[in-house]
Parts: sequence; structure tokens; C-alpha cells
Amino acid sequence: MTGLDFVSLDRAVAGDGFEPRLSSPLCRALEGSDRVLDLSFLGKIEVRGDVDAINGDLEVVRITPQRALVLCAPEEAAALRDRLPGMVIDMTAALAGLELHGVRTLRRLTDLDLDALPAVGRVADVPCLVLRNGDSFRLFFPQEYGHSVAEVVLDVLKGLE
Amino acid sequence: MTVDGVPNVRVCVEPVREGATVRAQNVLGSLDRDLLNVVDRIGGPFTPVGFYYRTMLRPRRLWPQYERVLRNLAGLGCLDKSGRRSGRYDVEHRRADVLVIGGGEAGVAAARAAAENSVGSVVLVDERAAPHIDGVETLAPARAIGFYEGGLVPVDAGNVLYRFRAGKVVVATGTVEQPLLFPGNDLVGVLLPQAVRRLVDDWALKPGDRGVIVSADGAGLDVVEQLRRAGVEIVEVVDLRESLPSTLAANGRRGRLESVTIEGRELACDLLVMSGGRQPAYSLLAQAGARVEYDARRGIFVPVDLPANVEAAGSVTETEPAAAPPPPSFDGGDAKGRCFVCICEDVTEKDVKRALAEGFDSLELAKRYTTVTMGPCQGRLCHLPSIRLYARETGSDEGAIGTTTARPPWAPVSLGLLAGRGLEPAKRTAIHHRHVELGATMMWTGAWRRPHSYGDAAGEARHVHEALGLIDVSTLGKLLVEGPDAAAFLELLYPNRFADMKVGRVRYGVLGSDAGRIMDDGTIGRIADDRFYVTTTSTGADTVIEWFDWWNAVWGMDVEVVNLTGALAAVNVAGPRSRELLGRLTDVDVSNEGIAYLDTKEAHVAGVPCLILRIGFVGELGYELHFASPYGEYLWDTLLERGKDLGIRPFGLEPQRILRLEKMHIIVGQDTDSESNVLEAGMPWIAKLDKDDFVGKWALEHVQARGFREQLVGFEMANGVVPAEGGQIVLDGRSAGRVTSARMSPHLGKAIGMAWVRPQLAVEDARIEIKVDGRLEAARVRLKPFFDPKGERLRA
Repeated sequence: MTGLDFVSLDRAVAGDGFEPRLSSPLCRALEGSDRVLDLSFLGKIEVRGDVDAINGDLEVVRITPQRALVLCAPEEAAALRDRLPGMVIDMTAALAGLELHGVRTLRRLTDLDLDALPAVGRVADVPCLVLRNGDSFRLFFPQEYGHSVAEVVLDVLKGLE
Repeated sequence: MTVDGVPNVRVCVEPVREGATVRAQNVLGSLDRDLLNVVDRIGGPFTPVGFYYRTMLRPRRLWPQYERVLRNLAGLGCLDKSGRRSGRYDVEHRRADVLVIGGGEAGVAAARAAAENSVGSVVLVDERAAPHIDGVETLAPARAIGFYEGGLVPVDAGNVLYRFRAGKVVVATGTVEQPLLFPGNDLVGVLLPQAVRRLVDDWALKPGDRGVIVSADGAGLDVVEQLRRAGVEIVEVVDLRESLPSTLAANGRRGRLESVTIEGRELACDLLVMSGGRQPAYSLLAQAGARVEYDARRGIFVPVDLPANVEAAGSVTETEPAAAPPPPSFDGGDAKGRCFVCICEDVTEKDVKRALAEGFDSLELAKRYTTVTMGPCQGRLCHLPSIRLYARETGSDEGAIGTTTARPPWAPVSLGLLAGRGLEPAKRTAIHHRHVELGATMMWTGAWRRPHSYGDAAGEARHVHEALGLIDVSTLGKLLVEGPDAAAFLELLYPNRFADMKVGRVRYGVLGSDAGRIMDDGTIGRIADDRFYVTTTSTGADTVIEWFDWWNAVWGMDVEVVNLTGALAAVNVAGPRSRELLGRLTDVDVSNEGIAYLDTKEAHVAGVPCLILRIGFVGELGYELHFASPYGEYLWDTLLERGKDLGIRPFGLEPQRILRLEKMHIIVGQDTDSESNVLEAGMPWIAKLDKDDFVGKWALEHVQARGFREQLVGFEMANGVVPAEGGQIVLDGRSAGRVTSARMSPHLGKAIGMAWVRPQLAVEDARIEIKVDGRLEAARVRLKPFFDPKGERLRA
């Protein structure tokens, strides 16, 4: 093993009778719901340093002038960690995520200006990064709050039925 | 009234619904036969305003009983203590370019104009049904309940609280009809003109048979024709602008109006329409920052100097006088009725005069003493009359007295709506649901949910000593400190040394503030030359991260601090059989030579990459495994499965607390407080005062120079009684310290604990006394760990 493998999801090894498996922090709360998409295992790579040097066809969310979050498919995370510039930290496990639809739903979750996204603010009372694509919103938040956030999102959706 | 168990419902505006249970509030019996009337009849002279500040004070032990009676009689309604959340409440955050509050003519015109000028989104809020306007979103029935900092306007729409932030707010809240003050003005049958209009026009109800109108403006006179059309006989109309009667009183029986006496003439009637003019409803404007000044010409208060982005429309800004300012109150002659200033709070003219006589000559003080304007109407009907009364009684004028501060909420709002949804954010570890499935009792530690125990705290603690235990420690704060200056950075932050640490080693660290006080503690592992892995307490993680970031910014060192708290789950496998279990799950050498005490190593455990730290908070051979949190359930399950034949058993926070106490390991915040430092806390070896510098060094040097004032020690009770945490150490009848932790150790069979004591008591085997349930119980001071004082089990 090389340094920081224990932070990444893609370094587990099956064999010798072991079959490592992943569990999403949202899986129990979202069980049976098809209105919210669990993005917890989406690759989330934090880059610190010269974020302008990030190149390629990547989805890059700038957090500060010196920090960015690169979103990628889970299977691309390992390769990206090797080639991204600056200090690279795999935050896939740190951030849970979900995708949902509807401006009204978001209005009941956050006081962020939905016309000024992406932005970081409080969603369902927890710190959150919110991205928008038309009527679709992606939320990324500390995984330890995952179950709470999912509960609130489902409750809000129920209230709007 | 109480409707369906909800107290304080304004039934005059609450829509009727099939099956609703409506009960009178604050009555004993019924409204018509209320036994509490006896308080009015014979208790009145004994219960003047503020009587509870002066009476019922002694004996003090009876005050709780007095208080209960008083609260029951206060008319605030009763909540069902066993009740549960009965309704659904939501909060919705809204933005609008223009928000119009008030759906009267002016509000509608303002909204229409904004829509026609295409200023963007326009929202109109009104308490009653507002008309449809093209390009305008109407929220009705809904009420703006305040105007907060930053232009936040919450709007109560029943079960949804809209939190508006608007580019421009137009306040068109109109005016509020003012009552007249005369004896008997609270009788049933005494109405304001608006109430008459609503009864007749909206509900086709005849408000009485014989009516008298006393009005200071046209509003009162306008209802005359309406009343006639409704079949009410008009007995007398008094226009106060033309003549001011020397006496005015309403007379009644059983709380209902029977006649009105005007200048000695008694007029039989069951309806009295009174109007004392109209006061602009300026509260929202005042909350927004407008100044409110007295207009002597019209005898009312008006809003001026509106803040930017706030406009007023309609009669709230009315400038033309329409009313003759009525007298503060009318002489009632021989009338027996009481003259109410504030109907909501039962404050009479006599109460206000009494408050003045007692020295409450400031309106703000008198408001708090009498509670005038503090009722559900928020002063709509009593603010102006009370100011007029104060002006007359103090010989001052209304402008000099001014208004009281306008504060939200402007309208009554249910607590349920303010509370919002019934879900509280909680941090859960990746293994949380496994604990629940195993029957753990969950408890709060900060924002985290953690297992207290799995049903047998003492048994779980004993089992760790005897066999093998497993605990979820994912809540620990976890930081990565990386960069060329990482070692130097930690050297400056911590009192102890890290620059000399070899890669693969772990050291205990206590973080101190500038003042040398203990902030947090944890372990620091060096996992590369320029990379350290730092753990913090569960509840201190956020503070430590801020502290690190702060100093990193101040010193400008070449260091990056990364918060991995949520990214990583962590478990501690502890007990004499822990090595055997770990050996089954990994290829690395887990012997004492492979991973010695205070070693750290990266390795796959059951196929999952882990950082292994050999540390021992619970005092036994143990390994802490840190790994990506999504593998939490898998690794937990695997450890339990593969350790089954070794007798593995999960243990919770409570057994962990017992075990750490046996080792005299402190818990920051429990055994320390905001004054504690490492020297007096019995950890002088932590502070390397020969280092050039570190945060808090000067303060620790000062502590060493001045000598210790108290010391943290262990104690062992003589008779097995467990003292309460916070219990007093007593010496010669005086306090000489306090207990910080105490437990019965099932392994040692003794009641043990830790306490801060005076330095002269910090001697091995010193006898101390601890107050337990009022008695003094003997104990002996211990300076070494109760269990395995040489640490042989940890190093096994």
C-alpha cells in the first residue's frame, strides 16, 4: 500500500475469503424511493493549489481560488488522482450526494439563491454544496449527515405531494 | 378559544370546519356561568396589576404552588403534555423582486403597477382572499409576521412559513381602528366598525337590535346605514368631532351590554359601535427601520424616513386628518364597569394609573409591569390609547413619550410553524444502523448519535478485560496535516514534541490554547516524513480544525490541513484476544515486533485498506482501524463474524468510559474545564518547556512559577458508594475540590473516580471526604491508574 490508500474506495481487494462491499449512508433512508438519486459513490476529488492547471473534459467545481472539487465516475477516480495537479485528496467517502428535481423542493430545503448556483450553504440544516442543471439539483454534504438529509428530503417531497 | 386542543386560536378569523371541537379558554364552567367570575367580583381589589411581584413571595417554598395557580388563571391556555406533533409544518425560502404586504386597494394597485412595469417576480400577501392580478403571485390567506435584519420577511400561510427576501417591499397594511376608553368597554355588544361591517357584509349577521354609535371619525358613522339595512334600530349617534360628552359608560349584566349612559341619559341598547379614529399600522415599517413620530394634528403616530427598498402605500401613509383625537378616557360617572385599556391582557385604566403611582413612569417599563400591548394583538388596539393615557396622567405629550419598540411577531403565530419540521440533523457513523440492529441504546454526544451500551455496560466493560471487545470510534475527529512544514507546525501547536517522531509512530497530544488551557486531546501518527494523521475528540473536531486553519493562516507555513472526519470510519478492537483476531484478517505481522505499542501502519484488513494505530484508550491490548467510511458495515460485520469463536462482543460508550477511568485517561470537557492546564491535570511530561516556542508556552511557564492551585487526581471510595459527578470534596467543612468522573468498576469491584483537589490533598493515599446525598463519604487519593498501572497490558 502507498500513502492514503485507506481514504479511497477503489483500493479494496477481494480474495482470501473476503468480499469488501460498500454501503451508502443514504441507502436505508432512500430505500423504496425512486424520486431521489443517490450520488454518494460518485468520484469526488479535491484539488488544492493551481486549480487552473486542471485540464481535460472534467466537471470541476471551484470552491475557492486555490481549491476545487472534481466530479467523476467512480471508476475514473484512481486515474484522476494520479494525473491531477497539486495536492489531491479523494473525498468520495467524505461527501454523500443526491440528485433531485424541482425548484419548490429546494426552496423548502435551503435559503440559497437558486439562481446563483453552484454555491455552498445550508441545506436541510447541514452544510452543503449545491449544483444546478435546469430543474435538476445535485447536493453534496458530509456523509455523516447523509441519513438526516435524506429523511428531510423525503419528508419535503411528501409535503409537496 | 381552544380549537381541537390548540389553545389561543382567534376564532373570529379561524375558518369553521366540520367536526372541530371548540372550547372556551380560561373559564371554569362555561362562558355564561364562569366560576372564575368570583375573582373579578371579590378578588379584584386584591389582585391589582403586578400583585404577584409583591404578594405570594413567602413562604418561598410555596411559590411553585402559587405559580402553578397563577399560570392556570393567566388565560394562556393549556397544552396537552402527552400530545404529539399533530400538524405538518414546512418552511419555504422565497425570493421576489417585489413583495407587497396587504391586499387592500393600495396593495393591489402597487402589485399591479409592479407587474405592468415588468420589474420581475411580484408577490402579494394578504390576510383575506386577494383578487387575481395578471403577473402577480398571490399568497392568501397569509400574514407577514415581521420584518427582520437583511430584509427577511416571514409570511405565515397556515402550515407553511414562507421566508421572503425581496428586492423591494411595499407595505400596504392600512390602518387599525382604535377603541374608546370608557367603563364597560369590554362588554359583549361593544364593537368596532370593522367588526360590524364583517358581521353584516361578510356573514349577513345582525349584530344587535338596538344600536348606539359613538365615533371620532367617519368610519363609525359609515356603519349607520349598514345597521339600518340589517334591521338594527339606531338609538343614538354621537359624532365626537361635533360634541364631546362629559360622561360615557356602557352598562351590562352577565357580561352583555344592556344600556349606554351618555351625560346622565341611559339608553337601552344591545349594540354600541365605537370608533376612536384610525392608527396607521406602521409596525412592519418600524421593524424595517422607519422612524415613527407623533402627528399632533391628527393625534396619531406615523412612519417617516423609510429605509431603502421599503415603500409604504395607501392609508398606512395617510396624511389628511379624518378624526378628532378622542380624550384618553371618558369619565363614566357612577358606572360600575371597568375601563379597559388592553382587552388582551386585562389591563384597565386603573392599572395604568397604579403603575404610574408606583413609579413606572416610563412607557417601556410600564409596558413590562402592566403587560399592556404585550397580548396577542401586539398593541394594535391598546398602544395608542395607553400612550394617550400616559400623556394625560404625566402631564406630558404623546410625542415626548413616543412609542414602544416594534418587535416581531406582528401577528400571532403558532409555535409549530416557528418550530418547522420535526426532524433534527444528527451525525451518524457509517456503522450506526448496525448498532441499532444489535439493540444498542443510542445517545447524543454533541451532534453525534452513539451507542451508550448494548444492554449491559458493566458486562461489556468486563468482557474487554477478559476477552475481546469492539467499539465504533468513527466519531473521532481525523485530520491530515501534510506539507514540508507539517512537523514544525505541530511542534508549534502542541506542547509536546513531534519533530523527533519516527515515521510509523504515534504519540498522545494535548492541544492547548494561548492561555495554556486544555482544548482537546488525541493521537498524532506520523505516516510519512511530511504527513501526520491527527485524531481529536468527537465533539472537539470542528474547533480543532478551525484552530489549525487559523494558525496555519497566521504562520503562513507550507502545510495543508485536511478534514477526514467523515471520510473515515474507525473501530477499536480491544482485549487480550485482539491480536489473534487481527492476525486472521491481515497479512501484516501483528506481533509486538510487527506493530508495537504506539505504532501505526497501513495494511489491508479483510481486504479493506486501513490505517492501523496500536493505542489503548481502554487500557487493553488494542488496535484502532481507520478506513473509508462506506466500508464501515462490512468491516464491522466481518470483525464480529471472524471473532465469534474468540468471544467478540461490541461495547458502547458507557463501558468505554468505565475502562478509560480505570486507566485514569481524561476526557476533555468532562475531567477538564476552561481553566484546566496540562501541568495541574497531572500531565507535566506533555509540556516540553525547553522547546523554543509553542502556543500557550508562556502561560504554562507562569503556572509553573506561581505553583499549583489544584490538581487532578484519582480517588477510590472506601465504602463503594459512587459519588455524583460534580460532587464536592470537603475539607474541614469547606469545599476543597470537585468530582469530575465516577463509576463503579466491575473489574476492580470498586467505586473509582477523578477529581480536582487542592494541592495538599494530591498525595497518594491521602484521605478525602466527598459529599454524597448530603453525607460525607471517605475516599483515598490515587495518583496512578487503578488498572494496570505499569501499562503491561497495553504493551503485551
